Amino acid sequence: MTDPVPPVIIFVVGALLVPFIKGSWKSAFLLAIPVVGFLNLISISEGTHWVVGFLDYRLVFGRVDRLSLLFGYIFHIISFIAILYSLHVKDNLQLIAGLVYAGSALGAIFAGDLLSFFVFWEMLTVSSIFLIWARRTEASLGAGYRYLLVHAAGGLCLLAGIVIHVNQTGSIEFGYLGLNGLGTYLIFFGFGLNCAWPLLHTWLTDAYPEATITGTIFLSAFTTKVAVYALARSFPGTEALIWIGAIMTGFPIFYAVIENDLRRVLAYSLINQVGFMVCGIGIGTALAINGAVCHAFNDILFKALLFMSMGAIMYRTGKINGTDLGGLYRTMPLTCVFCMVGAASISAFPLFSGFVSKSMVMDAAAGGHMRFIWFILLFASAGVFHHAGIKIPYFAFFSHDSGMRPKEAPIHMLLAMGIAAFLCIFIGSFPGFLYSLLPYPVEYVPYTAPHVVGQTQLLFFSALAFTLLLLSGIYPAEMRCINLDADWFYRKGGRLFFYVMDRTLNKINRVCEGVFVGGITGYLARISKDVVPRFILLGMVSFWVLTGSRGEVLQMKKMNVYNDFLKGTLPVGIGAGVAGLFIVLLFVLS
Amino acid sequence: MNERREEKMELSHEPVPGYRTAFFIAITIGSLYLGLILYKTLA
Repeated sequence: MTDPVPPVIIFVVGALLVPFIKGSWKSAFLLAIPVVGFLNLISISEGTHWVVGFLDYRLVFGRVDRLSLLFGYIFHIISFIAILYSLHVKDNLQLIAGLVYAGSALGAIFAGDLLSFFVFWEMLTVSSIFLIWARRTEASLGAGYRYLLVHAAGGLCLLAGIVIHVNQTGSIEFGYLGLNGLGTYLIFFGFGLNCAWPLLHTWLTDAYPEATITGTIFLSAFTTKVAVYALARSFPGTEALIWIGAIMTGFPIFYAVIENDLRRVLAYSLINQVGFMVCGIGIGTALAINGAVCHAFNDILFKALLFMSMGAIMYRTGKINGTDLGGLYRTMPLTCVFCMVGAASISAFPLFSGFVSKSMVMDAAAGGHMRFIWFILLFASAGVFHHAGIKIPYFAFFSHDSGMRPKEAPIHMLLAMGIAAFLCIFIGSFPGFLYSLLPYPVEYVPYTAPHVVGQTQLLFFSALAFTLLLLSGIYPAEMRCINLDADWFYRKGGRLFFYVMDRTLNKINRVCEGVFVGGITGYLARISKDVVPRFILLGMVSFWVLTGSRGEVLQMKKMNVYNDFLKGTLPVGIGAGVAGLFIVLLFVLS
Repeated sequence: MNERREEKMELSHEPVPGYRTAFFIAITIGSLYLGLILYKTLA
């Protein structure tokens, strides 16, 4: 058996080979990449591998422990599912970007030093942009640029933080950092931006729904989860994260309820779920950290499942707005069932995956006597059922009959959704397997009577609230519009900034151009053009006046001399005279 | 046939008679129940 290689290598090399493989071999090759990667991963022992010297530092490409391994497993699993789902895609750009993106995520989680982590972090950003631009629409182009700008700012922040931190400590080790100086605050902020913290989150809800159908599956799995991993690695127990996470669970609910684009509803739901993870990392106990990473594992699966079901609808109908869809269960029954499995999982129904992980974070909050935080998380649990658990399947597959009768999703999409759905139910029914992979030993028992009854109550009352809101006509109408969120600041603020800059900088530019290009330079050009004849005429006119020339005769002489000097057609005598005068002047002046 | 459907600008939810009253009754009972629990918890 050959020695294992860094997991990133398999994906990146695989991506580079994609353009050279044609026909039906391509599908087999694409599917083989995560399979080979997974076999490679399980052959890697815990410890530090692939250490490379760089300047005075040691770059570590393989820091393998239970935390990085758990993310490694799920990243391989979701890569396989996403590739299976994408088998109809002929566009190499999407395939290569997806593979490099997955490889970068693996590179980042196994990096043991901040420098290589930063490189993979930026590769993650660059490759993900192509999954957005690959849709090749005006909206995706704009969203991609906004995504790029935001992540470039976040990346620079992270880089500045790393530089300051390394300068202060002399160490590039990527381990526990804590908030203890400007450098770590900047790193914290950089991680937070990719985590879609409140007010920094709009890149996610802006860009993810504009990506390609398959691109969104990849996007939902990696960027935010790598950031969650980074926070769990570097800032566990940081109190600020408790509040940040709690706010993240709460505020997206309101936007999700009024959103018409169902993939954007899921994007808001993604922030909501990441909020549970961030909150758990902030609480920082073994139960909370276990809950956070366990929920990350589950969220990758059920969120991908929901995005895949919406993607299948988009693939068949070309529509994704709630106003356009409805009644699709008639012709897409399997997609509908898979969507409902994803909805039940994200809503934490008993026997579905969300139930066994979300409750760990909530119990950790309750165990820490954080009543208000626990209450926010409880509210968010009801809210997520409302928008992701009910709204998504209801408006897509039931609700009013849109009249569309599309075909069922292609077989490879159904297989991908089936695998994800199976895993959601398997983990929900037999959580012990996932619990055995968590970073800390697990004593948590999810299936207790109070927990099952309490959660079921919460879900059924949420369903009752949705039903009553809908039937009483209070539920907000689905409208074809753009709901401005915190992106107001750069969508509107950006225009204002452009207006102000246009009016100030461009005005200054015009004034400077008028003064220096049209003014002084023009004046000097005009002067230099006829300075010699003017100078000569000063003396000549005096001479002609003294010799009796007046009126038209004087004007004629002036014109003749002026033109002769400009054209260089002077009589030899005058030329010689001027040359002599010039020499005399030089002599006098020197 | 290449059928072109008119895209809706708004999908509103028409109220069903009687349910608005039911909604407000449920909200009132729920709020009172929640208030009672909070009072008993914090008191």
